[in-house]
Formats: sequence, structure tokens, C-alpha cells
Amino acid sequence: MTEARVVERFKKRTIWFHWIHTTAFLVLLVTGAILFIPGLGGPAAGGLTRFIHRIAVVFFAGAPIVYFILNPRMSLHFIKETLTWGKDDIQWIRQAPDYYFGGDEENMPPQGHVNTGQKMWQFIVLVTGALFLISGFFMWFLKDALSPGVFQWCVIVHDVAFIVALLMLLVHVYLGIIHPRMTESLRSMWDGKISKTYAKSHYGKWYDEVAKGKS
Amino acid sequence: MEISRKDFLKGAAGATGLLLLAPPAMAMAKESQTSAGMAMLIDVTKCVNCWWCYAACKECNNLPETAKPDPAQPPALSSNVWTTLHPVMKDGEWTSRKKACNHCTDAACVEVCPTGALSYNEMGFVQYDKEKCSGCGYCAEFCPFDVPQMETNIITGVAIMDKCTFCHDRVTNGEQPACAAACTAGGIIYGQRADLIAEAKERVASLQQNNTDASLYGVNELGGLHVMYVLDNSPAVYGLPADPEVPPTSIVRDVLRWVGSGLAIAVVAGFGLNYLAAKLRMRRGEE
Repeated sequence: MTEARVVERFKKRTIWFHWIHTTAFLVLLVTGAILFIPGLGGPAAGGLTRFIHRIAVVFFAGAPIVYFILNPRMSLHFIKETLTWGKDDIQWIRQAPDYYFGGDEENMPPQGHVNTGQKMWQFIVLVTGALFLISGFFMWFLKDALSPGVFQWCVIVHDVAFIVALLMLLVHVYLGIIHPRMTESLRSMWDGKISKTYAKSHYGKWYDEVAKGKS
Repeated sequence: MEISRKDFLKGAAGATGLLLLAPPAMAMAKESQTSAGMAMLIDVTKCVNCWWCYAACKECNNLPETAKPDPAQPPALSSNVWTTLHPVMKDGEWTSRKKACNHCTDAACVEVCPTGALSYNEMGFVQYDKEKCSGCGYCAEFCPFDVPQMETNIITGVAIMDKCTFCHDRVTNGEQPACAAACTAGGIIYGQRADLIAEAKERVASLQQNNTDASLYGVNELGGLHVMYVLDNSPAVYGLPADPEVPPTSIVRDVLRWVGSGLAIAVVAGFGLNYLAAKLRMRRGEE
């Protein structure tokens, strides 16, 4: 239980980026949800929450841009990793229900730096992030130039992105913090490290590469 | 009919006087204390472009005054202009259709307003509560009549909107709306909706002898408008959508809101079950 956590999983700057982006997204989520969920609109009165929404989006959009400029290779790797799918991923999806309901860990195919589920999450983050930013940009800056129909569809796109992102965020938070199997997930996003055992059982393929590189 | 600026100002003053008096109108409205079912009828054929409705509206609602507008380029609706005349070029001459909030029974703006700033008042008219407004501008984008207009600060998102209240304080005191009281041409009448419809049908029937496109607008549109129009031509000529509707996108939004909320609750409940099941099975596995 008290095994030393020595395998570096995330770099400091990635952790910073993660939490800045998280904070911005949570602010956007709350200030957006009150405009979206029936009957919760009260706090939006006066427009202050819309102003906060606009401040938050500067960080939400700015953080990835800054991160990309500072770490182009890592960023491209992240995108490539998200889009690279193989037969281990199919196998993972087949086994996942059993695994997450407490089934045998041995049945899971070995995973890379992120597992298939995390790749799905990364993919959702990229897609909904783009949808949010594009539709949001239209509604913010091009309101007068857009026809009402286009504006209305921007609202719908924003809504759909919100629902998808919220549901996947719930999954992400549950698996990262609460699920009985993910014992080191949250801490790894804090100090960047996990134990060898955790690395082997959760990210076998990746751990082999790391171990090879080090020895 | 041409009206000079001087006449116009005089008319505006006169209209204000009329508003203060207007006892017959008061009596008429008092008769129907139920107040539900009141409406306004605008007969475009009677409009003489005098703009007294516009001036009376400004006066009664304490909106900053302006000079009599150019009929060819009338002021657009805004937070300071709650009623205007929509210009219509007909037979080489400018004529108009009074344009303001139509106070729909099924109003798209009320439907999409996330904060409840737009709602129906006790008389079924669409009221706007500035204090509750977040400035999102959905009302402006979803209104099929292009009535709400937002003046939005592009950085802060703070927005200014305001619109016709159907002269709430006046009509709830049994008076007519300012524009109706000011209209000396009989082009704007306020009364029981059923009575207005009956009268309007007669007028349209006689107009149809000259033009078969003459029509009555607003009886059934959007559940029934509280501002109806006698038109001597088709609605399109007067800048009114032939078949106005609450945009389907607003219904899509409604569905999305419930589906999204439902899914989120289901997912969280699912986590609870998953946690218990996984925990139990893992413990059994360890034993």
C-alpha cells in the first residue's frame, strides 16, 4: 500500500495546464449551466455571470494555445495518441464493463500511456472544446452579422457540446477520484508520479517502454 | 397625408392631453374588468403617417424624445423606441404598418428566456423584467417579428433591451394604451379581443372587394397575437411573416435541456451502483 511512487507520469507543466484548464472549464460550466438548466437562471440576472463566462473562456482557450507554443512536440504527441486506435482498444472496450464492475484485471489488454477510455475522453475534450469555441466565437463576436437561424444553431451546438462534455466530465471525475480501482489517478495529476505496480497493471505497454528507456 | 414638424409637435402635445382625458375609452375598458381577452387592432388602411402613436408612446413611457422621423427611414425599434412605423412603399407613396411587440400568446421570447425576464403578465401580455435580464439576447434571435433589440457591450456582454409593455400601468387601470389613445385616425383600437376580431372581419371583407389579398393577421398566429392587423394586402407586403412560428430550434433546446439533465442524473446514479458493485466484487476477489 505504501509503495513508493517513482514512475513519472506527468510533467509539472502538464499538471499546471490540466488544473488551469479544469478551473476555467468549471467556471464556464457553472456560469453556462444556469442559463441552460430550466429554472436555474436566477443568478444570471444582471449579466455578471455572462461577464465571468467571457473571462473564463480566455483561460479556457488561452491555456491550450500557450501550452502548445511552449510544448509543441508533447502537444502533437497528445493529439496523435488520442487518434491512434488499434485492436487492443477494441479488446479494451469489450472487457471494460466487466473490469469496471470489479472483474479480473488480468483480462484487460496492456495499455499505453493512456488507456482506451482516457483516449475517448481526450477525444471528447478536443471535439467539444472546438465546438464550444467555434459556436461561442460566433455568438460572441458575430451576433449581428449572423442570421437568426445560424445563431440559433450555434446555441444548439453549444448546448449539445455542453451535455456531452458534462456527461464525460462526470465519468472522468468518477473514474479519476472515486472508482475503487483508480487509487493513484488523482495523486498522479498532483505530483505527476505513480507506483510501479500501478503503472504495470494500468499502463503495461507504456511501463515496459519507460522501464526499457531507463535501464 | 403630409404633416409638418410643427403640426407633429402640436399633435404630440394634443395626444398627451387626450391620454389624460380619454374617458370614453376608460369606460369601455372598465366594462370588461376580466381584462383577460383584451387586445389591440391595427388597421393599416387608416394610418395617415402622423406618428402620434410614436410620440405618445415616448411621452407616456418616459423615453427620450426625438423629432418626427422621416417616413422612408423610420427609427428602428430599440430600448428607446418601443413602437415605430414599418415603411411600406405602395403605389409610389410611403405608407406604414405600426410595428411594436405583438404580445404573442405563445411567445418565442418567453420560451427561450433562461432567466424568466420575459414572461406573461396577468393580462396575457408579454412583460419584460430588466432586473432579471442576463443580456443573452436569445429573445432577439428567436422572435419571429424581430422585435427585441439588444445593445450589447461586446466585452462585458452587458446588454440593454426594452420593449413595449402594452402600457401595463395604463391598461391595468382600465385605460387604453398610449398609442391607441393617441391615434385620431381610428387606426389603433383597443378592446375586447372577440369584439375586435368581429369588427376586423367586417373591415377585411369590404377591403377584399378591392384586393383579394386583404387579410386579417394575428387571430391564430402563435396562439393568437394580442396585436392584430387589418391589411389591405398580404402580410408579406407589410413585413409580417406569413406563417410565424416559435423556431423549432427552441423546441430542440427544450428537449435537450430535459434530456441532458436526465442523463446527468442517470449517470450519477449509475456511478453509485457501479461503486457498490465493484467494491463488493473486488473484496470478494481478495478473500
